[in-house]
Amino acid sequence: MADAIQKKLKAELEKYTQLQKDVSKSMSSRQKLETQLTENKIVKEELDLLDSANTVYKLIGPVLVKQDLDEAKATVGKRLEYITGELQRYETLLKDMEKKSEQHREVLTSLQQDFQKAQGLAVGN
Amino acid sequence: MAEEGTVNLGRLREAHQKVVTDCESRIQHWKKVSDDYKALNDRLETLPDQLSYDIMVPFGPLAFMPGKLVHTNELTVLLGDNWFAKCSAKQARNLIDHRMNYVRKELDDLSKTMTNFEARVGFAKSLETLSASKGDYVDIREEVGNNDSAVTKGKQRMAHKPNSKPKTDAVFDLKEEDEENDEETSARKGLLSESDLWARLDELERLEELQDERDRLCDVTEMNAEDSSSSSSEEEKEADVAPPVNGLSLKPSWSSAPHSKQPLAERKEDEEDEEEGHCLPTIFFSHTVEPKKVRINTGKNTTLKFSERKEQKEHSKRKKKNGHSNGHSHHELFKITTPADIYRLFVDVRNGEPVPRKSILKSRSRENSVCSDTSESSAADFEERRVMGRSFSHDETHSDNSDGITEEDSPTAVPLLMPSRFEAFSGTVIEKDPMPTAVPHLTIIPPALPTILERKQEEVAPDVAPPQQAPKRVSKFKAARLQQK
Repeated sequence: MADAIQKKLKAELEKYTQLQKDVSKSMSSRQKLETQLTENKIVKEELDLLDSANTVYKLIGPVLVKQDLDEAKATVGKRLEYITGELQRYETLLKDMEKKSEQHREVLTSLQQDFQKAQGLAVGN
Repeated sequence: MAEEGTVNLGRLREAHQKVVTDCESRIQHWKKVSDDYKALNDRLETLPDQLSYDIMVPFGPLAFMPGKLVHTNELTVLLGDNWFAKCSAKQARNLIDHRMNYVRKELDDLSKTMTNFEARVGFAKSLETLSASKGDYVDIREEVGNNDSAVTKGKQRMAHKPNSKPKTDAVFDLKEEDEENDEETSARKGLLSESDLWARLDELERLEELQDERDRLCDVTEMNAEDSSSSSSEEEKEADVAPPVNGLSLKPSWSSAPHSKQPLAERKEDEEDEEEGHCLPTIFFSHTVEPKKVRINTGKNTTLKFSERKEQKEHSKRKKKNGHSNGHSHHELFKITTPADIYRLFVDVRNGEPVPRKSILKSRSRENSVCSDTSESSAADFEERRVMGRSFSHDETHSDNSDGITEEDSPTAVPLLMPSRFEAFSGTVIEKDPMPTAVPHLTIIPPALPTILERKQEEVAPDVAPPQQAPKRVSKFKAARLQQK
């Protein structure tokens, strides 16, 4: 009895740790997205400050490629939208993962209790 | 429990401290960025002054080469996210200003959070020491519990007993962290007791509808008083909004044994309100000796007297100012000539004002409620007490109105006053030590002293209902006896 519960406990624990890792991963990627969002916001504002007299370049690898100011603005705008969409997606994902981890936590605690009871019984016996 | 609490508190404090240190490091980072931008700004200011500069150009990681810096006004600025732009020095400076705004904003936010968490850390520390020294948080909870019971009692102890908050109020109190635990426990208790109270409420509502209304009125003032004593003001509003809740909160107090006197006092208070009719219950009393009143509630009549005396003095002064007409006095009572009048009239004023009135009410209510217990007294007793009450009242008025304005013999004044009760406060005030006159009465109706005065005032005021007044006196005596018992 106790051994079976112990195995179950281990399995649940592994699942839970896996879930936790996923949660942390998505958290970090979400944070990256957030920084990118702020950066692109600043770029957009600074591009608005400039006029067409200045040439805009984009760094692609080791090369600085000339870009049109309007094109650059459009590109940055599109990137901003993409980032916001990704952020929302990550938000929902994180929520789901948190819920799942909660469920797993509850299962784990109940299993732990059973395991302790079983252990107590085993010791008593 | 205490150890766990301290451990948890320690962890809380550590967590807060971590946030604080994190904020500090971030602030350092942003400060460095800000300084760099400032230096860059200064450099850009002077850079276009010359067409070219002689400089030592870094050549690899270890060497420098003499060289020239040309195109001093042409700058390639990194805009972020691998975007570059060629700008002049001036444009670059504009960009720098724009970025500096962002950096400044970040710095402000971080400093705000840091101060916020520093405060939290300090609070956690103090809480830790508190819990460690005392050993537990139970003390706070008990206070809340006391508040609940006191509040349920209602008007009397409002000023003195901060505990007198209904459990429902405790639920709404979210302001103090100290009370958080208390709130939870008190909320639970409140929920449990409310169900019992509902049953009780149904029973009592039939009997005391008027009292409930008065309670609401008084509760408003009480709530206000509680605000002064406690931190949450929301509770009062909600308490006002939910009269049945107040009734509920009041009911359990009646059932609780240790507060046996309070329910009596409440009843008296309610009945006092009834007696006064449209007059505010606190009309006749305005005093500032709240603590005395608390003691009065606990049964010490002497303190009550003192407070009553003061109130009576003020009231008699007011009466003199306002004249002797009974009808006018009633109206004038609603006028505000002195700050004390505010205490009298504005029950709804939400400040510490109502508290003294409440206490006044409580002290008086006891006496008045005693009078109102007509059901308990027989007709014979009723008449007896009426007579006694009148005689006492006259004496009391003299003694209570010891303003030192005039002096008369109480015995001589008694027969005069007997026929003209309404002129009891017509200015003839005997400056007496209430104690000697009250001593004989004390044995019978210690709390009746102030109430007697009240009664007279009520009589002076529009004759609401003589029969009502008579029963009041009767109940006062009874109440005194009950209290003595």
